[in-house]
Amino acid sequence: MEPIRTDFKGYEGKFVALDARTGKIVLADEDPRVVLEKAKGRNHVVVRGRVPYPDEPLYVGLG
Amino acid sequence: MSALAELDQLPWLYPYREDPQHTRLGQPVFRPFVQVSLANGDTSTTMLDGLVDTGADAILASGLLADQLGIDLSEHEGEVHHAVGGRTMNTRYKTVTMRLHPGSGEVHEHREWSTQVGFVENWHSYSLVLLGSVGFLDRFTVTASRFAQAVAVEDQDAFDRRFGIVPPA
Repeated sequence: MEPIRTDFKGYEGKFVALDARTGKIVLADEDPRVVLEKAKGRNHVVVRGRVPYPDEPLYVGLG
Repeated sequence: MSALAELDQLPWLYPYREDPQHTRLGQPVFRPFVQVSLANGDTSTTMLDGLVDTGADAILASGLLADQLGIDLSEHEGEVHHAVGGRTMNTRYKTVTMRLHPGSGEVHEHREWSTQVGFVENWHSYSLVLLGSVGFLDRFTVTASRFAQAVAVEDQDAFDRRFGIVPPA
């Protein structure tokens, strides 16, 4: 299978939700609660998490 | 398991998905995510990308999701302090309903089961759910192939049917 690609540029520091079929970002906000609420009940929309800044330290495990 | 499970038989396939972390020398990172949601009574979360993690002992989730489900974690079923990545994280366990959705993200189609989930305080990072051994990998046969760039989720006994019961070494 081909992996699902996502262009995260411009969303650094924000929490995002994606279209599960395409990987396209459909919701973004600095407050995760806003993304979780707006995504609720929407078909094909999945919440991923926070997009890090390029210079952030990368944690191993529970990032 | 949910009666809805009869509508669409396993295996369910999930393409690997790109992660925003670039830990592999500037190359894109693809990870084994599957779509899940959590429910508590009549309240459920939205669908979430859950990271399949064979190194995790249990299902761990951001404490934010407990808030979404109206769960009072002061009434937890057990508490553990995890030392991860040089930090200590407080995890409180509570039994909830887990739902696995197909890779297309059909919100009304799912398999569901009851299990303990460890809710982690102040964990708001690139995935809000880790799907570990107890509660997920003991419910299904899960195959993650970086070569195929996909995850296959099959019935619980698929491994035994394919390979037989593995005797102790």
